[in-house]
Amino acid sequence: MRPSQLLAAPPTPVAGSRRPAWLLALAGLVLLGFVLDIALGPVRIPVMAVIKILLGQAVDNSAWTFIVREIRLPKALTAVAVGSGLAVSGLQMQTLFRNPLAGPSVLGLTAGAGLGVAAVMLAGGSVANSFAIRALGVGGSWSLVLAATAGAALVMALVLALSARVRDNVVLLIVGLMIASVTGAIVSLWQYFSAPEQIQEYLLWTFGSLGGVVGSHLAVLATVVGVGLVLAFASAKPLNALLLGENYARSMGLVVGRSRTLIIASTSLLAGAITAFCGPIGFVGIAVPHLTRALLRTADHRLLLPGSCLAGAALTLACDCVTQLPGSQISLPLSVVTSLLGAPVVLWVVLRRQNIRSSLS
Amino acid sequence: MLYPSLPTGRAGGVPPFFLFRRGFALAAMLLSSLTSLGQVAALKATTPPKNPAPRTAQPKPASAAAVRGHTTVDFAKGFTISYVPGGKVVTILSPFEQKTTATRYLLVPRGAARPAGYADAIVIETPIRTLVGLSSMHVALIDFLGAADVLVGLGSLKYASAPRVRQRIAAGKIMEAGQGKELHNEQLIAQHPDLVMATGWPGEGLTRYQTLQAAGVPVMLNSEWVESTPLARAEWVKVVAALLNKEDLVNQKFGQVVREYQRLAALGHRAAKKPSVVVGLPFKDVWYVPDADSYMAQFLRDAGTTYHWDKTKSPQGSLALSFEAVAPVALAADYWLQTGTATTKTEIAAQDARYAAFAPFKTGRLYNNNRRTNAQGSNDYWESGAVRPDLVLSDLIRILHPELLPTWRLYYYQQVK
Amino acid sequence: MPLPSFAPLLTAADLVVGYTAKKTPRPVAGPLQLHLWPGELVCLLGPNGAGKSTLLRTLAGLQPPLSGQLVMGGTALAALSAPERARQLSIVLTDRIDAGNLTVLELVRLGRHPHTGWLGGLSAHDEAQVQAALVATGTEAFAPRPVGELSDGERQKVLLARALAQDTPVVLLDEPTAHLDLPNRVALMRLLHGLARQTGKAILLSTHELDLALQAADRIWLLPAEGALRTGTPEDLVLSGSFAAAFAREGLAFDPATGTFALHAPTGPAVQLVGDGAAAFWTRRALEREGFVPTTALANLRVTAPHAAQPTWVSQAAGQPPQAHTTVEDLLQALKQLTVT
Repeated sequence: MRPSQLLAAPPTPVAGSRRPAWLLALAGLVLLGFVLDIALGPVRIPVMAVIKILLGQAVDNSAWTFIVREIRLPKALTAVAVGSGLAVSGLQMQTLFRNPLAGPSVLGLTAGAGLGVAAVMLAGGSVANSFAIRALGVGGSWSLVLAATAGAALVMALVLALSARVRDNVVLLIVGLMIASVTGAIVSLWQYFSAPEQIQEYLLWTFGSLGGVVGSHLAVLATVVGVGLVLAFASAKPLNALLLGENYARSMGLVVGRSRTLIIASTSLLAGAITAFCGPIGFVGIAVPHLTRALLRTADHRLLLPGSCLAGAALTLACDCVTQLPGSQISLPLSVVTSLLGAPVVLWVVLRRQNIRSSLS
Repeated sequence: MLYPSLPTGRAGGVPPFFLFRRGFALAAMLLSSLTSLGQVAALKATTPPKNPAPRTAQPKPASAAAVRGHTTVDFAKGFTISYVPGGKVVTILSPFEQKTTATRYLLVPRGAARPAGYADAIVIETPIRTLVGLSSMHVALIDFLGAADVLVGLGSLKYASAPRVRQRIAAGKIMEAGQGKELHNEQLIAQHPDLVMATGWPGEGLTRYQTLQAAGVPVMLNSEWVESTPLARAEWVKVVAALLNKEDLVNQKFGQVVREYQRLAALGHRAAKKPSVVVGLPFKDVWYVPDADSYMAQFLRDAGTTYHWDKTKSPQGSLALSFEAVAPVALAADYWLQTGTATTKTEIAAQDARYAAFAPFKTGRLYNNNRRTNAQGSNDYWESGAVRPDLVLSDLIRILHPELLPTWRLYYYQQVK
Repeated sequence: MPLPSFAPLLTAADLVVGYTAKKTPRPVAGPLQLHLWPGELVCLLGPNGAGKSTLLRTLAGLQPPLSGQLVMGGTALAALSAPERARQLSIVLTDRIDAGNLTVLELVRLGRHPHTGWLGGLSAHDEAQVQAALVATGTEAFAPRPVGELSDGERQKVLLARALAQDTPVVLLDEPTAHLDLPNRVALMRLLHGLARQTGKAILLSTHELDLALQAADRIWLLPAEGALRTGTPEDLVLSGSFAAAFAREGLAFDPATGTFALHAPTGPAVQLVGDGAAAFWTRRALEREGFVPTTALANLRVTAPHAAQPTWVSQAAGQPPQAHTTVEDLLQALKQLTVT
C-alpha cells in the first residue's frame, strides 16, 4: 500500500469539463426554441415585425401586436415553465423510485387533477351555475384551475401520509397506480352519464394545451413552478445519495423520510400546477431525463437537474412549434405531439443502452 | 310581439269558411312569391360579381298550386316524400355517403292494405297517434303542427320549451325515454308508441334500435341537423306532417315561413353595409367556427354579413381553428355572436382576459342566442328556432342592420352586457 | 487519525438484536457485550441463520436494536443525528448497485456526503480524501470508468473506497467476499487487514470465509446458532474448542490441527501413515476421503509417503509383502483391494 501511495498519480481529468459546455448549449437551444415559437404560427408575421413588437415598438398591424404579445409570448413562456417543470419532476421520480419508466404522473397527481376537472365539467355539468366555487366569486377559467389543484392536492396529501408509514418505495409506486385507476374509473362513470358536449369539453381538456395561460394565470403558474424548481434543486444532494439505494443513503447521513417528503412536495407542486393550468401533458417527464443523461453522461443531479430543466424547456418549445403547423389554420393537441416525439426517444434510449437498469444512472 | 301570426289549421275536411280564407291566402302567396321572384331577379341583375346569387333555393312555382293533401320537398336534401297508390313513401337519405344509403318508410293508412312492393320499407300506420321523440328538435317539429298531444315520450324531459309540451310533462303524460345507450327499451315497448323518432348521423343505421323494431315499434332516424341551410332544416316538419296527414297545414305554415324568410334574406342581401362577424367562444386554444356548408354560415349570408370563412369548407361541419388564426378577425369584427354559456361581459372576460381586447367586446356589440332559456336550462333556440328560421333571421337582421327592422323585438338573441 | 489504543471506538452493552413482526419483537441474538478497538480487523463468523446480518445491520444503524445500548465515541448512537452518525460509521453492503453510469470517481465522491455542504460541492480537502481512498484500494486507475464496466472484485474495491472516503473511525462490511473468486477474496482480506493497521480504523466484517478469516482477523466474533457470542483472537477460539462447538452439527467436525472441517466420516480401518511434509499431508487427505483413519500408531495397514530416499508410495498389509505405487490413485486402488479381501 505504501509504495503506491508514494506513486500516487495526479487526479485523472474527468470528462466533466465538457459538461458545463453542454449546459450552455442547451440554454442556447432554449433561446432558439423560444424565438422560433414566437416567430412561427398560423398567421404569417415577418421576423422583423416580431422582434420589433418584442422590443416594445409599434407596428402597422395592430392584430400582429395582439398576436405576438397576447397569444404567442405567453404561450412560449408557458412552454418553458411546463417543459422545465415536468422534466425536473420526472427526473426526481425516476431517481426516487429507481425506475426508468417513472414520470411525474406516477404518483397519481395528474389523475387527481383530472378528477377535479371532471367534477366541474361532468358532474357539475349544466348546474355549474350553482357550483360552490361560483359562490366564492371565482368564475370562468379559475374554477377549472382550482378544481384541478384541489384534486392534485388531495392525492398529494394521501401520498405524503402514506410515504411516512411506508419504508419501501415500490409500495408508493403501486399506490400511485391504484389512485390513477380509481380516479379514471370515476371519471369514466361520469362520462357515461354526461351529454356529448360535456364529454367533448372534457376530452379537449385531456389533450393538454399551452394556450389560455395568460395574465394572472401565467404569473401564478410561473411562481409555483419556480418554487417547485427551487425545492428540486435543493434536493440535488439527497437525490445523489439515493442513487446507491436507501441503505447506503441512510449510512451516508441522509434522513430518507425528510428527503422523500421534499422530493414528493416538489414533484406535486410542479406536476399539479402544470396539470391544473395546461391539462395532462405526457412523455416530457419520462423522456427528457433519459435524453439528458445520454447527453451529459453523468449521474450527478447537480448537473442533471439544470440539464433536464433546460432540455425539457427546449423540447416543449419544439413540440409547441410543431403543434402550430405553420401555414395551417389548425393546431394539434400538445399531448399528441409530445407522445409522438417522446415515444421514439424512449425507444431509442432503451434499445441503445440495452441494460435498462444502468440507463437509470 | 309584432310578428306575423300564422293561421292555425286543421286536417281533414274544409268548411266553406276556411275555403274563403284559403283562397285569399293562396292568392296572397302567389302575389308575394311573384314579387319576391322579381326582387331576386332585380338583385341578380344589380349585384356586382363579387356577391354571387343568394343560395336560397327557390320553390318551384308549380308547388304553389299543390295537390291537396300532398306536399313536396323543396329545400331539404335529407329526405323525400313520394305519394304512391295506397300510401306514401318517405325516404331518409344519407347525404354524406357516395352511394346513398337510404332508409324507406312506407306510410299506410290505418286499417288499409299494404301496397305491393317496397319490401324493404318499414311500415308506419298513419296518422300516428303516439310519438316518442328523442331530441328537442322533434318537439319543435310536432309543436309546429300544433300536435303536441301526440307526443308521449321524450329523450330527456329537460330539453323541452314549448308550453303545451311542458304542460303535458307537468301532468305526467310524457315519459322519459332516455338516450343513446340508456334508451329505456322496456318502457318504450310497454308504451308501444306508433313511432319513435331518433336523431342519428348518416350511415349509422338502425342497429341500435333493433330491440324496439323487433318488438314492432317503428323507429325513424332523422338527420335534420346535417342540412346545410336553415330552410332545409325547418322543412323537416313536412316529414311529421306526412305522418300526421297534415300536408295542407304544413304547406300553409311552412310556406309562410319560407316567404317570410326569403323576404328577410332579400333585405339582408340588399343591405349596403355588410358588417363583419365572428361566431362562438373558444376553449383554451381551439376556436370552433361554422364552415361554409353549415346552416349558420347560410344565416350569416342571408343576414348580410362579411364572414371570413364563408368559403372555407370542412367535412365536419365546423372548423377547429387555433385561437391565433381567429384572433385577427375577432379583433376587428363588428359583431360577436353566440358567446357560449356566458350571459354577461364579466363572465366572458373571466374566461380569458384577452377577449376584452376584441372590438365587439369594447363596443358592446355582443349577442348571444340564449334569451329563451327556461328554468331547466333548455334553450328554445335549438327547439323552435330550428323550425322558425324566419324569426332567427329577423333577430340577426335586427342586430346587424337595425335600420332595416326598427320595430322588431329580439326573440332568441339578447345583447350580452 | 488513530485514537488511543485502549479506548474502544464502538461499544455495545446488553444489545439485543432482532426484528419486529406484527408488533411482537423477535430477538435473534443477545444480550451482547461488544467492543471495537481501533486498528483491528474483526470478523463476525457463525452459521447461517445465527443473526450475523441482523447484528451487522443493527450496528450500522439500518435497523433499530430491540433493546440495549450502542455507544460510539462516548455518545449513544441513538442520540446522534444521521449526519453525525455518518461521520462515525460507514458501510459496505451486498446490495446490488444499479449505478451503471456512475463513474468510479463519482461514486467514491459520494462518500463525502456527510462532510459536504448543502449542495454537495467538494472542497480541496474532500478531493484529497477521495484520492487517498482510491489510492489505498488500488483503484485510481479506474477512476474515469463507469462502475458498470468493472468486474465484481473491482467493484467491491470501489465500494470500499467509497466507505474509506467517508473517513469514519469504524467501517462495517456485510459479506464483502460473497461474489468474489479466490484470488480476489484473498486480495480483499489482505487489503482490509493492511488498512486497519495503517489507518487505525476499526473494521468489522461478516463472512463465511472461515479460512481467510482465521488468518487475517485480529479478533473474531463467533455467533453460534444457540449460545452466547464469544469473542477473542482466532487461535484462542480454535484451541478452546469454541469454534468447533459453534459449528458443530450432525456429522460435521472441526479439526483444530488442520483448521479445516472434516468432510468425510471414517468408515474403514485405521492406517498407519509414515512420513511428513506435503506428501504426507496430501496422502492423509486421500486416505480420509476413502474413509480410512490415518494414525501415527501401529496398525494393520501401513502406508509410507514418498520422500527424498524413496520417491514412491509404499503400502503394506500385515503379513504381506510391501507394494510400491507411483501415484496416489494406484495406492488407493491397492488399499481398497486389501481391505476387501
